[in-house]
Amino acid sequence: MPADTALLKVENLVTRFKSVERGKWVKAVDGVSIHLNPGEIVGLVGESGCGKSTLGRSIVGLEKPQSGRVLLDGVDLGTLSGRKLRETRRAIQYVFQDPYASLNDRQTIGEAITEALIIHGVSDHTEQRRRILELLDQVGLPAVLAERYPRELSGGQRQRVAIARSLAVEPRVLICDEPVSALDLSIRAQVMNLFLTLQKELGVACLFIAHDLALVRQAASRVYVMYLGKVIEGGGSLDVYARPGHPYTSALLASVPSADPRIEALREAPVLKGDVPSPTNPPSGCRFRTRCPQAMEICAVNEPATVALSSDHSAACVIAEQVHRGEVIAPKVH
Amino acid sequence: MSTSSPILTVRDLCIDLFTARSALRPVDQVSYSVAAGETLAIVGESGSGKTVLNFAPLGLMPLGVSIHVSGSIRFDDKELVGMNDEALRKLRGGSIGVIFQDPMSALNPARTIRRQIAEVAELHLSLTSTQAEARALDLLKMVRMSDPEARLRQYPHELSGGLRQRVMIAIAIAAEPKLLIADEPTTALDVTVQAQIISLLKDLQKRLNMAMVLITHDMGVVAGIASRLAVMYAGRVMEYGPVQTVLTAPRHPYTMGLIDAIPRAEDLPGSAFRGLPGMPPVLGPPIPGCAFVERCRHAVATCETTRPLLAPTADRHVLAACPIVNRSSEALHAG
Repeated sequence: MPADTALLKVENLVTRFKSVERGKWVKAVDGVSIHLNPGEIVGLVGESGCGKSTLGRSIVGLEKPQSGRVLLDGVDLGTLSGRKLRETRRAIQYVFQDPYASLNDRQTIGEAITEALIIHGVSDHTEQRRRILELLDQVGLPAVLAERYPRELSGGQRQRVAIARSLAVEPRVLICDEPVSALDLSIRAQVMNLFLTLQKELGVACLFIAHDLALVRQAASRVYVMYLGKVIEGGGSLDVYARPGHPYTSALLASVPSADPRIEALREAPVLKGDVPSPTNPPSGCRFRTRCPQAMEICAVNEPATVALSSDHSAACVIAEQVHRGEVIAPKVH
Repeated sequence: MSTSSPILTVRDLCIDLFTARSALRPVDQVSYSVAAGETLAIVGESGSGKTVLNFAPLGLMPLGVSIHVSGSIRFDDKELVGMNDEALRKLRGGSIGVIFQDPMSALNPARTIRRQIAEVAELHLSLTSTQAEARALDLLKMVRMSDPEARLRQYPHELSGGLRQRVMIAIAIAAEPKLLIADEPTTALDVTVQAQIISLLKDLQKRLNMAMVLITHDMGVVAGIASRLAVMYAGRVMEYGPVQTVLTAPRHPYTMGLIDAIPRAEDLPGSAFRGLPGMPPVLGPPIPGCAFVERCRHAVATCETTRPLLAPTADRHVLAACPIVNRSSEALHAG
């Protein structure tokens, strides 16, 4: 897919933090390039500490990247400042994981949404009222909730309010950081369907950051996989899930337990050993090599180049083509 | 399935909690049993009572809550309901091992791993501190800890989530318990680490011939480790039976909904997610009829007023608390 028509483009982004060890830096995001087309849902998956949240936060300006560019409609946000930057950035909104922490306890739902509307320049009271009702309706909440406080709402309802508030400024991109992982199983589907509806009806593009692989597979048309600050694979969801090109993606998919006991009965020993290494001191060469069942000597020396597996699928591994063809570590189908 | 007699038998357990403002019943007439070497999974969403069910009888409850337990819990020929604190303390960490969801808040941040494991061995196995510390090393090897000698000298904050959970498991099995209660042992972990911990728990259970009660909300974890399953909703058991049968042919409408909600390989990107309508009930006083009635598409008038009891279904190994499925389980399946 050509990245030139992209709505949101991230180029070589690096975001680093000071380590607790003196003089050391942790590159939480280390040279990441991704893009989002208009109205598209794209998944960003990886284990904790892989930098997926930091990447999301860097895109909206909650973290300050050290280098790299974030472009919206081809405009580099780094070249803007002051009012122009704020206005441009408004098109990208963030939905937080925890709907219990992201709303102010002392504001009614209506007040919380009004705040966002004022920022968007809606100052007329009648118009504010109309928009609040419209937004609540869009996220599937009854109008009476406008007068309620967050504590009177369930987790699922709060997350809908958080989404309504981010929609108040008519964004073109939503960055959703684990938006359903704090919700109960039976409620998740309802909120996920809301994202699908918003995408279809309002054409909002969405970067969906999650650790739940099955959820991302069903929601996203494309997916990026991160490991220790790098994107190690990206492509169409169906292709990546069915024929991963990176041994890490393959192992990640194989680790997800199936709810079918007949499949679980055939499960062999876990594919990966150990935990993700500390990002303070990542392995040389390929960062996955310390856990990779296929690691070779060369992997410790060179950082693997990104190999194109199809027009829309690439992986950063020296044996990506063999993995993709299923010649090594065949992924478990479930 | 195991033919040995159960080590733990829970009968008609009711737990009432009284806070300053309200009276709640998180556990409402629950019965189940577990035999040595067997794993029972208890699944349910937040507020279904699955954690209170397991921890309240062991005296593990938040402060400021008064609690009333009725019914019976027979463990190893002893009655736990009404047992005094001193005797309960001997059981906890002794013949009943416990693993909590969040190892970081369960471990003492100011003590080395060696001390925390040794403490349990001193208390329950009456070992000297030197003997107990030697035992700590053996235990770390048993939970397949990498570089165990070095780990003994470390503090919890120096370990990753997966390693901390291994320490928790080492502490839980330090006194070779007959029963291991694991509350969401892998929920806080990444999926590749989760696979390792599940494989470890299975292996330890076999080696020590422990009975295990696993509290979880993840049907994948259930399918991988448990032999029997109790599905809880609003403090009640809705369905109870062998994992094989319940996961592949659920009978209770709630279980059916939960399993149906799991994304499948044939679901295309962008296709609607399946789920249950409505919201789970808020913890409160006992509900007169069926707790699931508001979200159930099979509900009839009597479901509002009469509480369905757990009863055998067409497959007599599976019990379900639903008069509709019990009357015509075949018809519901066809529909």
